[in-house]
Amino acid sequence: MKKYLYQYQRKVMLYCIRTNIAVSLCLLIFLASCDDFVEVDLPNSQLTAPAVFEDAVTANAAMVSIYAKMRSQGLLTGSASGLSHLLGNYTDELMFYGNTQNGAVAFYNNALIASNPDVKQFWNNSYNQIYCANAVVEGVDNSVTLPANVKNQLKGEALFSRALLHFYLVNLYGDVPYITTTDYRENSEVARTLSNVVYAKIIEDLQAAITLLPENYPTPERVRPNKYAAHALLARVYLYNENWEAAKNEATMVIENTGLYTWVTNLDEVFLKESTATIWQFSPSENGGNAEEGATFIFISGPPPLSALTENFINGFEVSDQRKVRWVNAVTDGVTTWFHPYKYKQQNSTAGSIEYSVVLRLAEMYLIRAEAYTHLGDLDAAKTDLNKIRNTAGLPDTSAVTQQELLDAILQERRVELFTEYGHRFFDLKRFGKVNEVLSPVKAGWSTNDALFPIPESELLLNPNLSPQNPGY
Amino acid sequence: MKIFSFKGYRQSVFCSFFCITAINLLSSVAWGQQAITVQGKIYDNLSSLPGVNVTVKGTTVQTISNYDGSYTIKTTTKDTLVFSMMGYAKKEIAILGRNTINVSMVEEATSLQEVKINAGYYSVKEKERTGSIARMTSKNIEKQPVTNVLAVMQGLMAGVSVTQTTGVAGGGFDIQIRGINSLRANGNQPLYVIDGVPYSSDPIGTGITSPVLPTQPSPLNSINPDQIESIEILKDADATAIYGSRGANGVVLITTKKGKQGKTRFSANVSSGVGTVTKFVDLMNTEQYLQMRREAFTNDGISPYPPYAYDVNGTWDQIRYTNWQEELLGKNASFTNAQASVSGGSTATQFLVSASYNKQTTVFPGDFGYKKGNVHVSLNHESENKRFKINFSTGYTAQNNNQPGTDPTLTALSLAPNAPALYDSEGNLNWENSTWNNPLADFKAVYTAKTYDLIANTLMSYKLTNSLELKSSFGFTDLKNNDTNISPSSRYDPAYGLGSEYSTLFTSQATRKSWIIEPQLNWSKQFSSAKLDVLVGTTFQSQKGNQLVQLGIGFPSNSLIYNLASASRLYTIGSDESVYKYQAFFGRINYNWKDRYIINITGRRDGSSRFGPGKQYANFGAIGGAWLFSEENFLNGNSLLSFGKLRASYGITGNDQIGDYQYLDTYASTGAIYQGTIGLEPTRLFNPDFGWETNKKFEIALETGFLNDRFFVTTAWYNNRSSNQLVGIPLPGTTGFTSLQANLDATVQNRGLELSLRTVNFQNKNFGWTTNINFTQASNKLLSFPDLENSTYNYQFVIGQPLNIKKVYHFTGVNPQTGLYEFEDVNGDGVISAQDDKQFIRDFNPKFFGGVQNQFRYKQLQLDFLFQFVKQLNWSPVVNTSVPGTMSNQPAEVVNHWQSPSNTGAYQLYTDGANGQAVDAFYRYVESDAAVVDASYIRLKNISLSWDVPDSLLKGMKCRVYIQGQNLLTFTSYNGADPEFKASGYLPPLKVWTTGLQFSF
Repeated sequence: MKKYLYQYQRKVMLYCIRTNIAVSLCLLIFLASCDDFVEVDLPNSQLTAPAVFEDAVTANAAMVSIYAKMRSQGLLTGSASGLSHLLGNYTDELMFYGNTQNGAVAFYNNALIASNPDVKQFWNNSYNQIYCANAVVEGVDNSVTLPANVKNQLKGEALFSRALLHFYLVNLYGDVPYITTTDYRENSEVARTLSNVVYAKIIEDLQAAITLLPENYPTPERVRPNKYAAHALLARVYLYNENWEAAKNEATMVIENTGLYTWVTNLDEVFLKESTATIWQFSPSENGGNAEEGATFIFISGPPPLSALTENFINGFEVSDQRKVRWVNAVTDGVTTWFHPYKYKQQNSTAGSIEYSVVLRLAEMYLIRAEAYTHLGDLDAAKTDLNKIRNTAGLPDTSAVTQQELLDAILQERRVELFTEYGHRFFDLKRFGKVNEVLSPVKAGWSTNDALFPIPESELLLNPNLSPQNPGY
Repeated sequence: MKIFSFKGYRQSVFCSFFCITAINLLSSVAWGQQAITVQGKIYDNLSSLPGVNVTVKGTTVQTISNYDGSYTIKTTTKDTLVFSMMGYAKKEIAILGRNTINVSMVEEATSLQEVKINAGYYSVKEKERTGSIARMTSKNIEKQPVTNVLAVMQGLMAGVSVTQTTGVAGGGFDIQIRGINSLRANGNQPLYVIDGVPYSSDPIGTGITSPVLPTQPSPLNSINPDQIESIEILKDADATAIYGSRGANGVVLITTKKGKQGKTRFSANVSSGVGTVTKFVDLMNTEQYLQMRREAFTNDGISPYPPYAYDVNGTWDQIRYTNWQEELLGKNASFTNAQASVSGGSTATQFLVSASYNKQTTVFPGDFGYKKGNVHVSLNHESENKRFKINFSTGYTAQNNNQPGTDPTLTALSLAPNAPALYDSEGNLNWENSTWNNPLADFKAVYTAKTYDLIANTLMSYKLTNSLELKSSFGFTDLKNNDTNISPSSRYDPAYGLGSEYSTLFTSQATRKSWIIEPQLNWSKQFSSAKLDVLVGTTFQSQKGNQLVQLGIGFPSNSLIYNLASASRLYTIGSDESVYKYQAFFGRINYNWKDRYIINITGRRDGSSRFGPGKQYANFGAIGGAWLFSEENFLNGNSLLSFGKLRASYGITGNDQIGDYQYLDTYASTGAIYQGTIGLEPTRLFNPDFGWETNKKFEIALETGFLNDRFFVTTAWYNNRSSNQLVGIPLPGTTGFTSLQANLDATVQNRGLELSLRTVNFQNKNFGWTTNINFTQASNKLLSFPDLENSTYNYQFVIGQPLNIKKVYHFTGVNPQTGLYEFEDVNGDGVISAQDDKQFIRDFNPKFFGGVQNQFRYKQLQLDFLFQFVKQLNWSPVVNTSVPGTMSNQPAEVVNHWQSPSNTGAYQLYTDGANGQAVDAFYRYVESDAAVVDASYIRLKNISLSWDVPDSLLKGMKCRVYIQGQNLLTFTSYNGADPEFKASGYLPPLKVWTTGLQFSF
């Protein structure tokens, strides 16, 4: 019995110890579980917004990501989903041969509808890029640590980018909201801004950019805008607004800066990345990368996998125009011959990059100034500028005599000089009031309402303040 | 005497226990009975029955019948043996001096009430449960030839709607438990818990690598149906509130198989079969197609045919006909499944080790397939004093999926029927002088996914006293996923001269690790006529995910395409890390008075790192009650009503499925390089103030059993309301983004009636027939939404209507003059526009759905079949077609079209695309009520016929041969490929036949 008693005591003791341990364990767990457990640190792949603009390196990364986006997505990309290719199909530049499921078919047929994915993609990508630009403007304004020169440069670049994107939007969609803040409460209820007001804001932003941006390119290779890039864009904006005097002045600002910009007479060198006629270009997405336009337009056998230049366009060149030789390439299967744009000659990456996508170049400045001079009545000055382009292409001086003849000659010259570059042809036809006259005979699907894209259907559904839809959609 | 010394003093219970034993011992001595060994065999109908509990009545002496149904037990001549097993009527047989007693057990419906139901943190007897829990067991699962755990639930449970999103192996399923609660499309996932470990069902991989699948791959594919013992679905507040913030959409508890006490037992199951597309769509033939094309160009006034119209301008053969569905989707997919296990153990320790292998090929041409290997181990141990228990289970699954880069279904439906031959005379891919994209070339693009998944869980418990138990689970999951998608240059027409410098490789490497610790204390006390159970516990959970997505372009050779290091250009598209932490306290009080009145109170306080400071914690809870009125004196012993229970519950659960870090204003790396710098971009529009979504659930249910439960009906009515909706509010593009995370003061109601009926129609030794019917009628309604008219949801939702609606145009017919589709101009402004005229509502929620399952048994032959039925609307197949007249094939019925004012039809005039008005009208048509059609169906979901080889033919071995089928017959008026299917343009689920052999010894 004593043995049992001892055993019993031992059991009780053990039991008590075990119970104590268990109870303390529970208490510990309950006490230890405080709010701290559910606090998590920021993931190592992200930075808070204010931190980005405390440091010049990260602030700069926020700015260049806007260019990277423009280069690869939305309106300005040189890929097949950008304006250069799609507006080429929309007008009389390109004929579409590719897969019928491709988005370009709707552009080629001029059969855009409000729910077209590219119409939405252009809109959404542009406003996303604009949001990023506004975030840079706000981030820079709120930063206390960034040096003043960095602040000025970044803000100038952001304002330039914002103006550039709105410029394309207003030309494609008509009245569009001009977005200058990152506040979604405001931006989700915006109404369409009249296009003349949009232009006024573009001009205001560009003028501000001119005062903020440096004279020289901040980095090598002309891939970040400087003061003259803003002048160049402003020249185009004034031209579109028929403010001839201002357009002439802005273009002259660029043309006369011969320290930076010189005329390139060899047509094969115009789109090289070192070209001194380039005002602003996109840096490629990798070392050895080249302009995306090369991969979009070039093909080596027919029928073409995507698009080819139309017969109508090829026939538009004057005899002996060197651009038809240098900037256009023929591909034949022995029976049929097809032509593709050949301004950019690199279809692939190369050991070192050779060509970048050129957004603004000197030739356009001469054409702008020629047109402005014509309207201002200075026909001789206009001819001088126009002949500068023509002579480089191996053509004689223009035979135009009257103001109207000269304007027609300028429109024709713009067609063969600026083809498949960011939709110049479409915008020029609209500006000259010739879009229906020119396109109706050659495009079976063309209707007068096609001069404006529809506002994306999803936008109208989400924000009724954007009503009314453009006519015909 | 050992028992005496060990525990006797301490507890009165043990005292009395000792007394009974002592009296027994004494009595046997007193009457001088002789000790004997009784042996025998136990049968169920005609086959032997293992696992039957054999007890000497009034003692603790017991044993369990072996795999062949035999048992041996030491007892005395005058004792009585008690034979019991779940699902069978208990049998008592007096020994009366015999040495051999063979027993035949009879299945009994009433005993299902004694089954212990897993409710997650606790388990409860079926008859005593207060919550709504649907259950299915391995018996249901093994009758279906499927490899995904969600597939087995289709059509079997009331209130649970499951749809398969693709017929390609490795794809996902949509599951809804009692409807859509959240306005967020991805906020309606239930919580999955495997052996106590929450398992994240967030998709893995990235859509970039898996375009062949309509949704990103679901990690649930890792769970092998073969290894599941039971699935419990918690539906109402009483059952789900203990899961707090994660219970709003229901909880799916998966319990894997465990070892059983007894002799070591080997078993194996092998099966193989074929799968085919259920139905081909009836398309135009070459003559009809070319007629359409010619007419289209005539209508458009385009002549001659343009150079790119190869099908009609004479470039392609005008007579040739190919059935592209046959060519691209017509192969037989093969199914192979093998599984083997070893199990056994003593009373103290049991084990189970099993392994399985699945292989499934595709209906596409080429060598594609899905393979899955799985190992599962379960160990249980109980200490000698029965106080300490440990239960360890782990599963490791490796999956290797190899599929075409894209799903060819749309191509098969749209390719011109006179398109050229796939191969040229030399057997090479034919490109017909660069006039078409050879669809076989796309199969050179390959998607591969390798997934490795480890789930381990240990549950330890210790009985501190007889009424107090401390236990804790420790769980760990580790998921690794490697996805690749290659697009070699060889997929392009060689004429384009695109070399391997154009080949691309996308890779995604994802890992997801989580651990969970859930200590808890259970206290239960039996009073004279009442029983009280109390549970308190806490949860700590942490989940860490990493994902790296990269793109390589340009390889020295296509044979190096899987080597990222060989890529001449390498981009990092995404490199993300996320941490999710979660903590909770939970508790339950259950009071049961006289087995008649039961009250169950549960609660939880949850904290989640997904919310910003000050918003992290919230409380949830529920109360449930049950009244077993059949236990009342006035009904007890009633010959008709054998069981009756009324139960009800009300409570609040929540939802935190919003993704991590959404409350922070951050910039993230874009991976895109500009001038050697990697860009940083704003991640999202941020909102630091969003908080928990709450879901209030009410349910009342009546469970009644008649005639010894041979006829058992459960009727449940529920009414759930979710509010403070946490949503990604859609925003116009002008904000720079498309959505913003925020709480919305909107309330959604889900209300429904669920009916389950189980009948034993016939039951005797040779023949049995049972029927299970489930029926769900559910409605979903947006109750309130302040200021809906001015919100961005205005076009999407309507107060008083379900969430899953579409506003469409009203189609008024084909205009006999113009030949164009016409629609009602609701506001009469002369223009048809989405914002003004899409005012007609179509509800895509099923009106009702359910299943009827029958089981017939005749001797060793067993036949099971399940019919699934759904009453619903779906998009008609027209929405997947292009504008009629373009270079794309059409359903054959489109020949019935408008040709002239005097010769009109159901479809509008043809155009190649130049007729902008016709293109416009077509795209409105596919968003009109004409494109929404009845897609109700009755489907023979699965059938299984099996035969147990009689024991007499096999010495000590059990063997069963079976044949099973899935998606065999469909009765529907829907003219698309599959009425069940919602992901348009992808391969619908297949029709599958398998045969197999199952044996054990």
